[in-house]
Amino acid sequence: MAETEQTVYIVEDDEAVRDSLSMLLRSEGLAVAGYERATRFLEDWHGGMQGCIVLDIRMPEMDGMELQEELIERGSHLPIIFVTGHGDVPLAVEAMRKGAVDFIEKPYREDQLLEKIRGALATDAEQHQGREEKRLIEERLEQLTPREREIMDRMVAGQANKVIAIELDISQRTVEIHRSRVMHKMGTHSLAQLVRMVMSVRDGDPE
Amino acid sequence: MSTVSETPTDPEQACVLLVDDNPQNLKVLYETLRDKGYQLLIANDGEKALQLARRHHPEVILLDIMMPGMDGFEVCKHLRADTDTALSAIIFLSALNDIDAKVRGFNMGGADYIAKPFQAQEVMARVDTQIRVIQLERVMQARNRQLESEQASLLNAIFEGIYGLDPQGVITFANPAAAEIAGAEQDALVGRRIGDLHFTHDSGEEASHAGRVLCRDGAAVLRRGVTMTRADGTTFQAEYRAAPRFENDELTGSVLVFRDITEELAQERALEETRELVAEQREQLAHASRLSVMGEMAAGVAHEVNQPLTAIANYVSLVCRMMEKDTLDQDALSEVLEKITAQSHRASEVIRRIRQFVHQPATGKETVDVARLLAESREFAEVDSRNNAIEVSLSIPEHLPYAVADPVQVQQVVLNLIRNALEASRNCSSEEPVEVSAEALEDAVCVRVADRGCGLPEDAEERLFQPFYSNKDEGMGIGLSLCRSLITGQNGEIGFERREGGGTVFWFSLPLVDSSAPDPD
Repeated sequence: MAETEQTVYIVEDDEAVRDSLSMLLRSEGLAVAGYERATRFLEDWHGGMQGCIVLDIRMPEMDGMELQEELIERGSHLPIIFVTGHGDVPLAVEAMRKGAVDFIEKPYREDQLLEKIRGALATDAEQHQGREEKRLIEERLEQLTPREREIMDRMVAGQANKVIAIELDISQRTVEIHRSRVMHKMGTHSLAQLVRMVMSVRDGDPE
Repeated sequence: MSTVSETPTDPEQACVLLVDDNPQNLKVLYETLRDKGYQLLIANDGEKALQLARRHHPEVILLDIMMPGMDGFEVCKHLRADTDTALSAIIFLSALNDIDAKVRGFNMGGADYIAKPFQAQEVMARVDTQIRVIQLERVMQARNRQLESEQASLLNAIFEGIYGLDPQGVITFANPAAAEIAGAEQDALVGRRIGDLHFTHDSGEEASHAGRVLCRDGAAVLRRGVTMTRADGTTFQAEYRAAPRFENDELTGSVLVFRDITEELAQERALEETRELVAEQREQLAHASRLSVMGEMAAGVAHEVNQPLTAIANYVSLVCRMMEKDTLDQDALSEVLEKITAQSHRASEVIRRIRQFVHQPATGKETVDVARLLAESREFAEVDSRNNAIEVSLSIPEHLPYAVADPVQVQQVVLNLIRNALEASRNCSSEEPVEVSAEALEDAVCVRVADRGCGLPEDAEERLFQPFYSNKDEGMGIGLSLCRSLITGQNGEIGFERREGGGTVFWFSLPLVDSSAPDPD
């Protein structure tokens, strides 16, 4: 997927808060999208969104906590900064437990909020990069033939060429040819890096 | 033969005295009237007749005019002159059939006249008529005497002092209570001037009482808390009523009824003080409860204030950034500043509402626009409404009459009922709005707060308005008991009904502004 700009999604029912925060963030050069209702944000949501969500915890209809749950359900990766009012700390803790990156209590200092937003954007960018790499590895793995895949699995498991040749009843030379094609297709020269690449895909996604 | 008593004396039995010097005539009269239910007495001369009359008080005396010695007219004169015998009806008997004798007889007080020779039927009829007349007269006199003595005993028994006053303010009558209150003998009071005796404080207001009690304008007077003087010069607090007396449309004086209310006033003051204490405590409890409600609503209220504050902080940061730039966009800047102003107004409005709710003292009863009060209450309950995600609907008829109540306390009750309703709805996961409505009854405005919550338990009637009873897990049980106290304090009523289809309606009523009542000012 093409590189898209990171956006700060503000989900906040209070128009003044939404408007002021939008203007402030824009003045910082950030791309902003404001939503009055959690449901409206869900309508726009897609897996390719990058950036972070600044989410008011108390809202009519669907509140912040409910939106977080729905987003988890849909497999969203967007980091969430919860904005809470006085006395909502237990809610915020619960939100953190469910994976929100941070929360901030109203009224907040703008530099604190900006810091948290930058942190969230960095996290998102990092995760995005991680996801991109993983996607690249998976793409490369797709290009391997079944035989190459079989030999790669054994390489990663630490089998020597000789052992692979005997167990698959092929010549050691053939193993070497497959091996170099695997390395080429996976875009690496080092076995150590290949192992890391394969493990990262297996760790993150058991499928 | 001087007297004959044919039948035993019966108090109910009428007595007839027959007086004639002629034994033959007496015999005829006697034969005619015997066995007719009369006690018959016989006298053959005037002296005897008078003796018998004095002893037996006969209802009727048949009196012969022509008698030797004292004649009938003479006897009649004596009978009339003696109060013991004056009431007997005298029927003259005479052979003289002349007009002069008849007229003279009637002039002397005779009731009737029978001419000789007697006709039995006529004698019986005339005697019977006179007896009936005299008996009726006696009943009337007895009744009068009874009334008079009852009146006297009433006047004596009444603990209020009563004076009869003549047009000059001189006491013509005083009952025993008046004597006791005045501290003087009843007889010593009569003849004294009311002003000199009782209204010796001649300064200003007091002086006029002596004149006022005479009711010269013909209207009755009632005064309370008047200082009156006793015979010994000491004073007491009195209440008096004076009513004019008329005879043939002419003012003949007045009747003054008065009593010592010194003790009563002291009791009233004590009662008033107790009432004030209760009202004060109720107000304190109401205030404490408002604070407690405020505490419960603190999170919501903080949220309300935080919104504009957050926005203001954001706008200000933005302005700072704009200022740092080389070129200042004046238009953008003033736009943001306007937004800041709007938000600070918004914040102060929230604060104002809180202050109004918590700190405003009970203003006392005043004319209250219930429709407006309900609208404001809903506005205040909006935080709760939003937090519970349940709407509060308002339905008020046009031209709802005004009520008399303490608006702060009524608002507190409304808010309490709305919050209860929101909580009941939420606990039941109901999304139906809480309905607040008002209607005008004949002499009250009725406000209803209805929810679609879980309803109330069976035994709620007995306990719901009791202090420290709560249907809620976290409830203190103060809310509804205080609501009742506040509403009854406004002369209103409060209650609830189970709602068809689930839920509860709480209602309360407030008395209407009485348009017929005179203006207190």
